[in-house]
Amino acid sequence: DNNFEEVNTNPNVPNTVTPDLLLPNIIRAPINENMGTAWGIGNSVMQYTAKIQFVNEDRYLWGEQNGIWNVTYSTLREVQNMYNIATNSSPVQKNYQAIALIMKSWMMSLVTDAYGDAPYTEAIRGKDLMYFPKYDSQETIYNGILKDLAEANGLLAPENGAVNGDILFGGDVMKWRKMANSLRLRYLMRISNKRDVKADMQAIVGNQTATPIFTSNSDNAALRYLPTVPNQFPLYTSRVGSFDEFRLSKTLGDKLMQLNDPRLGIFARPTVASVAAGKPAYVGVPNGLDDNSALTYNGGAQNVSRVGTNYYIDGFGTPTDANLNIAKGIIMTYAELQFILAEAAQKKMITGNAKEYYEKGITASFNYYALDVPAGYLTQPDVAFADAKALELIGTQKWIALFYNGLEPWFDWRRTGFPAIKPGPSNLNQNRVPVRFTYPSSELSLNKPSIDEAVQRQGPNDINTSVWWDK
Amino acid sequence: KVVSSEAGEGLPGVSIVVKGTATGTTSRNDGTYSLTVPNKSAVLIYSFIGFEAKEVSVGNQTTINVSLTPSTQALNEVVVTALGISKQQRNLGYVTQKIDNSALVQARETNLVSQLAGKIAGVTVVNSPSGIGGSSRVTIRGEKSLNINGNQPLFVIDGLPINNNFVGSSGRNNQDADYGNGAGFINPDDVETMTVLKGASATALYGSRAANGVVVITTKSGKGTKGIGVSVNSNLTFESVLRLPDYQNVYGQGLNGEFSFQDGSGGGLRDGVDESWGPKMDGRLLVQHDSPTDKGYRAGDTRVPGGPGVATPTPFVAHPDNIRDFFETGRIMTNNVAVTGSNDKGDFRLSFTNLAQKGYVPNTDLTRNSFNLNAGYKLTDRFTARTNVSYIRNHSDNRPNLSYGTENIMYLLNCWWGRHIDMKSMQNYWQPGLEDIQQFNFNYNYHDNPYFNLYENTNGQDVNRVIGNVTLAYQLTDWLSVQGRTQVDYQDELRTRRRAFSTQRYPYGSYRREAVKTLERNTDLLFLVDKRINESFTLSGTAGGNQRLNTYDYVDNFAPQLTVPGVYSLNNSRVPLEYRQEQNERRINSLFASGQLTYQDKLTLELTGRNDWSSTLTLPTGVVGNADNSYFYWSGTLSAVVSDWVKMPSWVSFAKVRAGYAQVGNDTEPYQFSQPYNPGTPWGTTPTFGESTRIPNLSLKPEISSSQEYGVDIRFLKNRVGLDVTYYNTISRNQIIFLPLSGTTGYSQIVQNAGRIQNSGVEVMLNLTPVRLDNVGFRWDMNVNFSRNRSKVLELANGVSTYELADRYFSVQARVNERMGDMYGYAYERVSSDPRSPYYDPTGQYVGQMVTTTDGRPISTTDLKKLGNYNPDWLAGINNSLTYKGFNLSFLFDIRKGGEVYSHTYVVGREAGQLVETLQGRETGYYDNSTDKEFKNAPEGTYYVVPGVVQTGEGQFAPNQRRISAREWHTAFTLGRRVLEGAIFDASFTKLREIKLGYSLPNSIMGKKLPFRNVTLSLVGRNLFLWTKVPHIDPETSSVAGGTVIPGSESVAIPSARNYGVNLSFNL
Repeated sequence: DNNFEEVNTNPNVPNTVTPDLLLPNIIRAPINENMGTAWGIGNSVMQYTAKIQFVNEDRYLWGEQNGIWNVTYSTLREVQNMYNIATNSSPVQKNYQAIALIMKSWMMSLVTDAYGDAPYTEAIRGKDLMYFPKYDSQETIYNGILKDLAEANGLLAPENGAVNGDILFGGDVMKWRKMANSLRLRYLMRISNKRDVKADMQAIVGNQTATPIFTSNSDNAALRYLPTVPNQFPLYTSRVGSFDEFRLSKTLGDKLMQLNDPRLGIFARPTVASVAAGKPAYVGVPNGLDDNSALTYNGGAQNVSRVGTNYYIDGFGTPTDANLNIAKGIIMTYAELQFILAEAAQKKMITGNAKEYYEKGITASFNYYALDVPAGYLTQPDVAFADAKALELIGTQKWIALFYNGLEPWFDWRRTGFPAIKPGPSNLNQNRVPVRFTYPSSELSLNKPSIDEAVQRQGPNDINTSVWWDK
Repeated sequence: KVVSSEAGEGLPGVSIVVKGTATGTTSRNDGTYSLTVPNKSAVLIYSFIGFEAKEVSVGNQTTINVSLTPSTQALNEVVVTALGISKQQRNLGYVTQKIDNSALVQARETNLVSQLAGKIAGVTVVNSPSGIGGSSRVTIRGEKSLNINGNQPLFVIDGLPINNNFVGSSGRNNQDADYGNGAGFINPDDVETMTVLKGASATALYGSRAANGVVVITTKSGKGTKGIGVSVNSNLTFESVLRLPDYQNVYGQGLNGEFSFQDGSGGGLRDGVDESWGPKMDGRLLVQHDSPTDKGYRAGDTRVPGGPGVATPTPFVAHPDNIRDFFETGRIMTNNVAVTGSNDKGDFRLSFTNLAQKGYVPNTDLTRNSFNLNAGYKLTDRFTARTNVSYIRNHSDNRPNLSYGTENIMYLLNCWWGRHIDMKSMQNYWQPGLEDIQQFNFNYNYHDNPYFNLYENTNGQDVNRVIGNVTLAYQLTDWLSVQGRTQVDYQDELRTRRRAFSTQRYPYGSYRREAVKTLERNTDLLFLVDKRINESFTLSGTAGGNQRLNTYDYVDNFAPQLTVPGVYSLNNSRVPLEYRQEQNERRINSLFASGQLTYQDKLTLELTGRNDWSSTLTLPTGVVGNADNSYFYWSGTLSAVVSDWVKMPSWVSFAKVRAGYAQVGNDTEPYQFSQPYNPGTPWGTTPTFGESTRIPNLSLKPEISSSQEYGVDIRFLKNRVGLDVTYYNTISRNQIIFLPLSGTTGYSQIVQNAGRIQNSGVEVMLNLTPVRLDNVGFRWDMNVNFSRNRSKVLELANGVSTYELADRYFSVQARVNERMGDMYGYAYERVSSDPRSPYYDPTGQYVGQMVTTTDGRPISTTDLKKLGNYNPDWLAGINNSLTYKGFNLSFLFDIRKGGEVYSHTYVVGREAGQLVETLQGRETGYYDNSTDKEFKNAPEGTYYVVPGVVQTGEGQFAPNQRRISAREWHTAFTLGRRVLEGAIFDASFTKLREIKLGYSLPNSIMGKKLPFRNVTLSLVGRNLFLWTKVPHIDPETSSVAGGTVIPGSESVAIPSARNYGVNLSFNL
């Protein structure tokens, strides 16, 4: 009669979509956030970089770090939608189902490794009237992640339909499979202090047909950004002053100089003053200084190293191919996998030669930066594999290789303790390195009973409460 | 003819209406009038300000001469009520208040809506901090809706609604400008009166949108014109900044007491730092951004080929007025000319108004041209036609950016500016030879030169708006008439935003075009009844239907980078355009009726009823649910003139009591029953979508708010004292809210019927004539408005105890049994007397003291605490008017008591060392507390000790003695912007809102030769003085975030202005 049904039909946007339209943002959003949080917090807590201005974070006055939390749950909605659309298609689009499970697993691992217990089994169920999702224990979440990744490995196959909208691997489902299994090894290692994961690890490593893993840098799960806005490497749109607040950390700089490691030239630039004087030199800044000391360290900003040219384009420049190959949004690399295998072999969790994996890991890292391992690098005393200090060596080289790899180095350090991280002299956390993010205050407003229960179980909602696998 | 009973002279401008209808006229200059009445039983109501209204039955008379008696108070007059129908205030069962034209055009505001402040009891006006005619947020009788944007009243012109949209401007990084609200565009010169209908009983007939009250605007017509019929009003006012923060003027830019400019991004000594913890400005010689170089450049001309050369140091001295100097004297010029004419058959008024405003913020402006034609013609004795058409063209080359960020000049000036900077040095804002490519600045790390920002990065606006209505009325019988009306309000707006090369946020510049088209159309058909049943009873009533249509069409195109500098066109984009489009439509059909039965003019009963059918509550095709799109509501009011029933003491001149009950229903926004996928930023050429994060509810019910209102209107001492007191209580239930969800549900909101909100309050209007000396022609009138409102949350959705209305610095939360407008955030931990607290002090000695860490800093609570409430405890306006012969002096004080405001200027201005507080603890320089040795020996005045206690063991505390440097303290007091407790202030203020000194030349002076009549010259001022305890800012502010105005939060606001000037008006 009055045609109101039609009037109230939204003409602007579709009510249904296909999985390929959801996939790009499922990949982009969490990777961008992971890189952003790594820049703001992860790189400085792991002492790759140190702040010379607005030094609160470097003094462990962290405030809320809500990005990973918010972006994960918001993206998980799309993951769930993609999974459901794929499931309800005829035939079932198994490859999209698998990719959904992989992305979900990776994102949930970020959340639980950063915050601890978190909504999982009841999460993303707003449409089922589940408005106050309970927080699951980290153990429950890890069980789910490992199960989902195993399932994804079984679903992926070229004959299970083409994958479009895949900005990470261009629709190469074999690479997704390798990523799923490589992530399984990462997460099994993560919980290895809590559980015997030997059999699970061996099963994966032992059968490369059933469970393929990364075999080279070309398998890396790393998003290559576009040269122009709005899909540039996230830092490229920062103000130069904001970029320059973060400088090479003395911890990383000294280590790389001690090892004569040419990756230093990728991670940092020689100081402006030293270049002007014709003697390029790298100077790192100690972490955790107070404002005055940080900004005046070694005579000030001109005398401390900026972060490398790949990570920020000065002036009106455009990124080169070489820049784009380095400044990627990294989920996991082949190099990291080799270090995981090295540690597993060293701990006899898998069969294999720890030294071999270790050196492959170092080589892979150099190659990622388009560098060759310098002659003598692998045999120098602080690098050469030695059984007695194998875990420390592996941990240290892994740390270097994980430069700006999201928050992974921080998670890994919390498990292994390598390398030794010393809080800065003016830290405001009683000389403790933070091991956790606090939950967002929005949860106090919107999901109070659940968060209260989690805090009760896990410990105080502060940056010093260890998560389950770290206890 | 209408004459005054005192002087016997003709009274011009007397309003004469046929009771119970919208027909009427106005008396001419000599008091004569003519009017066609429908029938013999018609009753004419004569009313004029300052006189007692009178009712006369027409009967067989063809000439009716009336003599009006002056009253001390203008309370007993005719008011325009719902649907544009005039009623005698005497019989109304609810309270209304009105503002006349002269109050709007003399001491004027660019935004008409701002004029309501202080003049109407129960009305709260919050202006956004934009400098030129920005948005005004009005709430009447408190916040009734949990939707923070849903609390605005409805604006109605000549009986039909117009749109009062506030179309937000977020959606792209930064770029938060305020483009004004719909009602703010209305030209005050064409407004005869603005009447505020506050309660639901007054508004039930407007339906859905009237739950928050109605502002009824009646436009001027040409009725009763005699003579040439030309009127002129000219207004010229100037604006200057009312209040700036108290800046410190001892230390300049830098850190650690050090500074020397090299390249403004860290190349010199601390020259990349944008804080003011630098050296003393004692005249020492330092290279600064404007120091001359040997090549004839400025040191800050960093990008000129070959470099600027070697700079000669210049004296480092304070420029205490640099920010004051930045602001200019704004100028607003308004000229109105109206031509009117009328005869027995018809009347017209043609008016043109030009407003030309130059803002006090450099390079901001606004021009507005308004044309208005209001005409009526009697086709036959029974058949009349009227039309009223306005065309408004609004243009601004630049509206300033708001919100915290590089694009807002106050972000720079209040927070990150150097006290040593000479403002003049910034005016030449391009580097030589690099015009359009590279700006010149004192800091290249973070900021944009403020002149560059305002002259190059502009936010333009073009609005074309047409509001037009047509009314046809036909008298069917002597007691029944029918009228049909239609009104269209169409607005076409273009917003263009330019960003130049080298802008911090847009190194390659950018260009954006937003096109917004809105339409509101209302058509109604009314049957009007007016029948005298017998000697005692009169019945008047209305019945009819209305059809409403709203459409909205929005297209946003964005070139995120430009190819060639300085060319602002979408054709000049370096990369693919980004775009967004939205269209929506809603329709509401309504049937309504109202009836008023009066007994002997002493007792009046009025009943109204209305049913709405809304498209927004209709399930779209193919969607199954049980939402209900039809809703009925009604009202009933009763008023009794007690003084006519009961013999009152002689000092009581008039007494009336009134009571009413009313309901108003409401619908929601279009398309709430689907959950679509919205397009996201594509990845190159790969498109991407994401699901809408709002979960629909297919069982949605309409909102209903019901209210009770009781009032008395008593006048004493021959009407020299008038007191009107109203109590009201409104319950809003089934509110349609977008209930925020924890992000872990995957969604941000769910549409819900939820909540019961109670608003109750008292409004008092007191009118006094303390002095009246008729013999010398002196008179002092006083008007006092007082209102107090309490909004309380009685109930929320099932299982919900907390609802977050908005989140901006603090969280605005509605909690059951708490007040609306509560602000929540982290607070300081304090020593507690509660044994469960980790800071329990069994001795009680330190209870209440702030707890500090061993590092000597405050500690944040782990849970959110209530920090305040942004609603005032009460509001009052006091207006005094002194008249002596042709002179009139009036002044209005506007008082707000209570409520809190959060100041972001205070937080960041302290961090950055800009504000005067930051002198505390840095008198002789800096100490680095990383080495305790040096610090322990530091002299008094060079450090700060946080007053508090440190926990030394379980249940044990000792006074904090830990010293921290000034630089650290001014960041630590908020723990890096986490704890807001220290930046929340009592927002009470008193303002001298308005002052007018006018002189009306006696018409006799002009004699017979000169054609000028009614010449009035006034000196006017607005917002001249402010008294408040809030430091640094005008507490009457808000922040704008993505189209939502959030009260109680100051976000580096552009300072408000005082306004003063002159107004001249005359008739020909």
